[in-house]
Amino acid sequence: MEYLYSIAILVGLFVILASSFNLIIGYGGLISIAHPIFYGLGAYTSALLARDAGLPVPLCMLLGTLLAMILSIAMALPALRVSGDYLLIASIGFQLGMIELIKNFRFTGGAGGVSGIPAFLVPTFGREVYVALVLGVAVGVVLLVRWIAHSDYGRAISAMRDDEQAFAALGRDAKWIKVSLFALGSGIAGFAGALYAHYFRFVTSEQFEILMSSTILTMVVVGGLRTPWGPVVGAILLQILPQAITFLNLPPALLGPIQGLLFTGLVLVFMFLRPGGLVQAGNTWTAHGHVRKET
Amino acid sequence: MLEIKGLSKSFGGIVVAQDIDLVMRPGRILGLIGPNGAGKTSLFNLASGIYPPDAGTITLDGASLDGLDLHERARRGLSRTWQHVRLFPSLTVLDNLIIGARDYPAESMVTLMMAQGRVAKARDAARAKAMDILARIGLSDTAEKSIGDLTYGQQKLVGVARALMNDGRCLLLDEPMAGVEGHAYEAMQRIVREVAASGVAVCVVEHNVAFIRDLCDEAVFMFQGRILARGSVADLIANPELTELYFGH
Repeated sequence: MEYLYSIAILVGLFVILASSFNLIIGYGGLISIAHPIFYGLGAYTSALLARDAGLPVPLCMLLGTLLAMILSIAMALPALRVSGDYLLIASIGFQLGMIELIKNFRFTGGAGGVSGIPAFLVPTFGREVYVALVLGVAVGVVLLVRWIAHSDYGRAISAMRDDEQAFAALGRDAKWIKVSLFALGSGIAGFAGALYAHYFRFVTSEQFEILMSSTILTMVVVGGLRTPWGPVVGAILLQILPQAITFLNLPPALLGPIQGLLFTGLVLVFMFLRPGGLVQAGNTWTAHGHVRKET
Repeated sequence: MLEIKGLSKSFGGIVVAQDIDLVMRPGRILGLIGPNGAGKTSLFNLASGIYPPDAGTITLDGASLDGLDLHERARRGLSRTWQHVRLFPSLTVLDNLIIGARDYPAESMVTLMMAQGRVAKARDAARAKAMDILARIGLSDTAEKSIGDLTYGQQKLVGVARALMNDGRCLLLDEPMAGVEGHAYEAMQRIVREVAASGVAVCVVEHNVAFIRDLCDEAVFMFQGRILARGSVADLIANPELTELYFGH
């Protein structure tokens, strides 16, 4: 049963990560590979503050989220003043640099990671409650993304993505919209990290490496870019499938490569057969409650 | 009034603007004519803040626009259209216009989350204004259509309509008549006249000489980044040297 709870929590966390990444890359059109490190920053900050400073876990989770948001703004602001390409370059440097810092600082536990992280909710209310919390947050994040995408702000995001210069010529400041989207998406990733840390109670830098970006991106692309429900489908599918493979009783040396091949193969299949993903986005933006009649 | 003084710009050895002095007055329509590559669109790009000039100053109603970004100049009241329309294909016609409103609601995520009543009020006002402009150009029935469903002439009209949502004091129209004919041609003439009559300074880059002749109060002739002549459209058209420069030998 504990195994199933862990799967449910991982599915919930990856729904949160994929949905927040969809906000950045899908709706915002911003290319970044630093999502795992914001996930990690939330995890490490919350874990260390709770364990070493003795602060209440909910406060630590919020501080972890806040730190991820602040650092994402600090990273994106100078890059986005120039162009979106610089964000990609900055995100690579930030991701690799922060991982090295985490590995080498004593207070982060170095390569050994952080253990003995205080648990949250589980000792008092049981694992079921924590599963409900994570899945509730996941549903909340999906609904938030959906609400933003179809709000007046979403209209502006669509226009900005279509033609940033024409958008600016209408008096709209694209830079702040991009920074806001990036900060919100990164902050949500940070919160997911905090949720991870206080359930599994052990974090190490290896869990937040650059390759995790490709996993999250695959979930978004396979599920459906720029759709609120696409990343949910992608996250569930790509969390459940690798777990299902473990039941095939294959030698451990084969499991890793097979899972890697599965991810790559799925991306290739979708590229050719269904480039819009499992949940297809419409061609035209629509407001909340507005059903567009195709002409 | 938009006032340009001593504006110069070159990209390497290519001079696109050379010591340009130009005044666009409220209620007047200024035509900008010249052959391809004369620097007309580049002048619009310099005025609207896409390129920083090498030298010169630009003021709008006495306030300097120097150093301001594209979006900041638009907020000060400088509106423009584009030679290749550049509407937002993922939005309907109506949404293309709503996004152009000077006080567009919910440009800030904080405003969207904290002041939904204000956002809804501003959105409704923008929607009403957009529908009014669409009615004036005879495109009310296209409001819910996708951009791809419109003819090129209709798209050009929507481009002008979107710029009008800004309530700017100066409007730069970049080849509004290219590819426009029939009903759209007449609607374009009418709307540009109405805008100028409301006190907006209008400047039109256009190769359609008949359109310029019928519409503009005055014109300037540009060639290789310089203003070669100013005066009435009739005088410029009648000048054989300019005609030769325009059409080549």
